[in-house]
Amino acid sequence: MELVLIILLPLLFAVLALSLYRHGEWPLRLLQFGAICHLVLVCRVTLPGRVLAVVSFRGVDLFGLDEVSKLLLTLTSLLFACVAVHSARWYPADQRLGIERGQGPGMRAGLFVACMLGLLSTMSAVLLARNLGVLWVAIEATTLASAPVIIFRQTPRSLEAMWKYMLICSVGIGLALFGTLLLASAYTGPHELSPGLNLDALMAVRHELDGAWFKAAFIFILAGYGTKMGLAPFHTWLPDAHSEAPAPEPAVLSGALLNCAFLGILRFVQLAPPELSGFCRTLLIALGLCSLVVAAFFMIRQRDYKRMLAFSSVEHMGLATIILGLGMHNLAYLHLCGHSLTKMMLFLCAGNISMAYDTRAVLGVKGMFGAIPRTATLWLIGLLLICGTPPSPLFITELFLVMQAPLWLGATVLFLLFVVFCGMTSICLDMVMGPSPTTPPDEEAGKAAESLCSIPALAVVTVLVMGLVIIFFIESSGLV
Amino acid sequence: MSTLPEIALILFLFTNIVLVSSSRLTHCIQLVAVQGVLLGVIPLVFWDWQSAAPYGELVFLSLTNIAIKGIALPLLLILAVRRAQVRRELEPVVGYAFSQLFAILIIAACFAGYRHLVDDDTANAALLAIPVAAATMLIGLFIIIARRKAITQVLGFLVFENGISVFANGLMVHHGAIVELGILLDVFALVFIMGIAVFKISQEFQHIDADRLNALGDRQDPENSAAPPAYTWE
Repeated sequence: MELVLIILLPLLFAVLALSLYRHGEWPLRLLQFGAICHLVLVCRVTLPGRVLAVVSFRGVDLFGLDEVSKLLLTLTSLLFACVAVHSARWYPADQRLGIERGQGPGMRAGLFVACMLGLLSTMSAVLLARNLGVLWVAIEATTLASAPVIIFRQTPRSLEAMWKYMLICSVGIGLALFGTLLLASAYTGPHELSPGLNLDALMAVRHELDGAWFKAAFIFILAGYGTKMGLAPFHTWLPDAHSEAPAPEPAVLSGALLNCAFLGILRFVQLAPPELSGFCRTLLIALGLCSLVVAAFFMIRQRDYKRMLAFSSVEHMGLATIILGLGMHNLAYLHLCGHSLTKMMLFLCAGNISMAYDTRAVLGVKGMFGAIPRTATLWLIGLLLICGTPPSPLFITELFLVMQAPLWLGATVLFLLFVVFCGMTSICLDMVMGPSPTTPPDEEAGKAAESLCSIPALAVVTVLVMGLVIIFFIESSGLV
Repeated sequence: MSTLPEIALILFLFTNIVLVSSSRLTHCIQLVAVQGVLLGVIPLVFWDWQSAAPYGELVFLSLTNIAIKGIALPLLLILAVRRAQVRRELEPVVGYAFSQLFAILIIAACFAGYRHLVDDDTANAALLAIPVAAATMLIGLFIIIARRKAITQVLGFLVFENGISVFANGLMVHHGAIVELGILLDVFALVFIMGIAVFKISQEFQHIDADRLNALGDRQDPENSAAPPAYTWE
């Protein structure tokens, strides 16, 4: 029952926010309240030692919890709570500046909050799903909930980004549905005992799955959920959507939604019959490497700092896929956690920068240390952390990846990571260093941006503590 | 072996071929509606009515399918077309004659490939659904690529999704009523939001040509970069 509540509660708040469409700040309070209620519920459910029965309906297992979903659900809920608190202060400032700059007001608070809470609800459904069909329905629903926020200000560019996001993701996820059906057909046992699409039942009969059907299913799943996860060459929607959406949205998309798609792929990897795990691993590593190459290529001389962050997400999803392909599941989860928190914080900072400078062009931002020192410090630290500088948790995962991988793979990954590092730091130093711009950014906007630093700072501290604790206090053998 | 399933599947293929060669948008939408109705009928004619089973669920799902894919979605799309004031797909990327030829080639290739994979002669209608589904999916993807209008791309997506449904129905994949309803709801919501998007695009750009939505990219300058580089080396 509590599991159903985790999904329904945000939905309820979303409906409430929509009905309070005209009541100024109320939807924003609802956003914070809803996110914090969700966090409390999730903490209750994921307490160690609690066992919750799987929720079923007429032979279909709907929702349940296992170790992975516990971890990712806590992460998602925590991250969303941070973004919600940030948004509640970001939204009024952004509205005010938007009107002053003649860009017009953004989306109504009610609709914005409803979409964000809807996204939280559907993401929770993805993480809790115990049936591959339910998983698919929930992942498609996340696309629907997140798409409208992209046209926060109805500009031609944002419309284009939203159109690409919806069309590419829907077709991609359609392929995943086909893959799911192929998997259902892979069962060769007696018809009466057919597991349907229930995860636990499929897990029990995974030795009886037909190899050829499973291979076909896995390819479609990888292409399908890979699109949603932003793996190259299916990533094309990702930089557009992430760069056009308003600040809090890409923080959630990159930090939480990509993990949900990762979970979709992970479920199928877990179902692979033992003799096919080699096949799955090869595909995962190939796709991960491809993402890394594409990200490194587009990172160099990137002109838009939000797109740079988006490509960094492609890179890290690629890394997580490679780690999964090497069979180090725990390490992959750690990588996701580290990436989510850091990337969330970076996108929020990017929102502050674009608020202060009113541009997303790298060339338009100079001398951040002079103009917005707090944001500049956080931006610099965040970018170093996302590049895997110790003590970032990403350093640990990347180190183990290189240590455990075959030599050629380790060398290639290191080379590409170096390219990414160079690309990112050169952009970052261009932005933060140098004298303050001759025409200083709008002073009031700068102040507004500087006042939005508490959540990113909290995230940076969390990531640093997480990395330090792992490095100094935890035996690394458990991770590999 | 009953022949009703074959007739339904052949009708389905037929709508595909007509669809790729028609330029009037309302006509295309009507054809997709026909596909939706056929999709509702297919599980009924495929079902082995001798076996004991939950008939109620089956009929319910069938009717819901017809109501959503055969009636509600086409109505929504027609509304979007009226609002956007577009009637024809005038200059498709791939011409209509060639599209038709290509669709027939896709179908032939699917059947040939299928004969190659399964070479027993006992093939029944249920297995016939596989090449039909594959052909429909490919034609759907082809429509998305070969047409310019945003609304035709939505139609292409619907055809693609119909192909997946044919596959599920043909192979009797048992995924439970609730999952099926969820999928229908998702598709409905998706087309609803895309319909709104088409309307907004037509407002903003005065056209709905998806191939002219090409402002975003990595080699273009980001928004507002017209603002001069604020600082020069001195």
